[in-house]
Amino acid sequence: MKVGLFLGCNMPALRPDNEKAIRVSLESLGVEVVDLEGAACCPAYGTFWSADEEAALAVGAWNYSIAEKMGVDMVVQCGSCYSTLKMSRHKLINGKLQEINEKFLSKVGAKYEGKSDTKHITDFLYNTIGVDKIKSSLKYSMKGLKAVVQVPCHTIRPSKILGFDDPENPQVLKELTRALGAEVPTFTRDKQCCGGAGGYARNNRRAALEFLKLKLDSMKEEVDPDCIVVSCITCLMWMDEAQEEMRKLGMIDYSIPVFDYNQLLAICQGHDPQKVARIAATPRDEVIVKILENKI
Amino acid sequence: MPINLKEERDPELVKQIVEVGGEDLLKCYQCGTCIADCPTGIADEPLSVKRLIHIAKLGLAEVLIEDESPWMCVTCTGCEERCPRDARPFEIVLAIRRWQCLEDETYIPQTLTEIYERGHTQNVVNPMREELDLPEIKTVATREDLLEKFRQLLRETRVVKEHGYMFGIMEG
Ligand code: SF4
Ligand code: SF4
Repeated sequence: MKVGLFLGCNMPALRPDNEKAIRVSLESLGVEVVDLEGAACCPAYGTFWSADEEAALAVGAWNYSIAEKMGVDMVVQCGSCYSTLKMSRHKLINGKLQEINEKFLSKVGAKYEGKSDTKHITDFLYNTIGVDKIKSSLKYSMKGLKAVVQVPCHTIRPSKILGFDDPENPQVLKELTRALGAEVPTFTRDKQCCGGAGGYARNNRRAALEFLKLKLDSMKEEVDPDCIVVSCITCLMWMDEAQEEMRKLGMIDYSIPVFDYNQLLAICQGHDPQKVARIAATPRDEVIVKILENKI
Repeated sequence: MPINLKEERDPELVKQIVEVGGEDLLKCYQCGTCIADCPTGIADEPLSVKRLIHIAKLGLAEVLIEDESPWMCVTCTGCEERCPRDARPFEIVLAIRRWQCLEDETYIPQTLTEIYERGHTQNVVNPMREELDLPEIKTVATREDLLEKFRQLLRETRVVKEHGYMFGIMEG
């Protein structure tokens, strides 16, 4: 099976170890990962969408035209990329396609026919690859570890346009995490947004930190997890780095490691943690050591 | 900030916002569901789509142009999912941002020029790639010919055409 890996901007720029984790873990599952030659920013909601919707659709269509030409669907981890790519496609195939092709793509010799689609990586892992195949690729297990999941808002809403899970009670990331052997408890603020995307942290940092603290306090007090599992570059960086900031500010006195799902998957498959989970503000070594003690 | 009804009214305001994508604004019946679960609820000045819609309907353009709260949106789309009238409050947030960009170009996000420059919001070629044995990036970041095509496409868009100098494009 062949998929086009849509990189976006934040992951290659700031967390290339996460990109590595995605590539190697997919390869271990027998997936051929191809690069989308000439892809650009998705574009994010805070960019063209906020100034000129037609321009946003033109950029979205540009990205799709590349995948379509290569005959692949795109797989993406970043929640924001996933949401905007699905939003573009929705608006294009429901009326704007011809106009955007004529006004923009045709001017540069490109075309999007509405065939190529986007899948979030958790959708792809759960619904296309399947839990059984994931389990059989593992060399180590998260047995004995307690993990809570952060389901990216952008992968469940607006559910009329995108998504692959129950928007009010999403289970896919939980099931995928259980497949690694971890226990996945729920807690009061289980479904709360992390607050990391968009302009919140930039415009009102104090509030954005306090908003995240509500969630962290709730998980710490109720279930005291060994780690948080995310599947979105923004959730990952925000929940990891904001914790460090809050510790320095004296807002919290605990530390909960944050992993992207594919980082844990790659470690459990036996890939080098130094390559697939190298960058973090909140130390993750203890969790990694525990996994490596659990040989299957 | 309280809404001052003595302020000058612009009867065209709602129409202008509808034109840039807020077409479901008129469905809003001011129930406040969109505020209930908004992450910005604990902000110094929370983002209230309900309030923004009210301001737009009253035609208070002067108030709306000063209001930076739409830019605080986390884009979580909780409001979009739960609005009982399907007024699409998240789309209204984006539409108000667009209207603000049209009225006052200082609202146009700087990242647009970054994307025009290099195809991405930032430099995506991290020097750590080699150490991690990652393949070369193949996006427009490293494909000069494709980046030029991408820029050519962007030069066809309204926002780039109208604000060429922001993107370093000289007239003529
Ligand atoms: S939830 Fe919908 S109808 Fe209610 S105030 Fe918000 S936009 Fe208006
Ligand atoms: S999409 Fe924006 S306005 Fe709507 S609930 Fe989320 S943060 Fe608030």
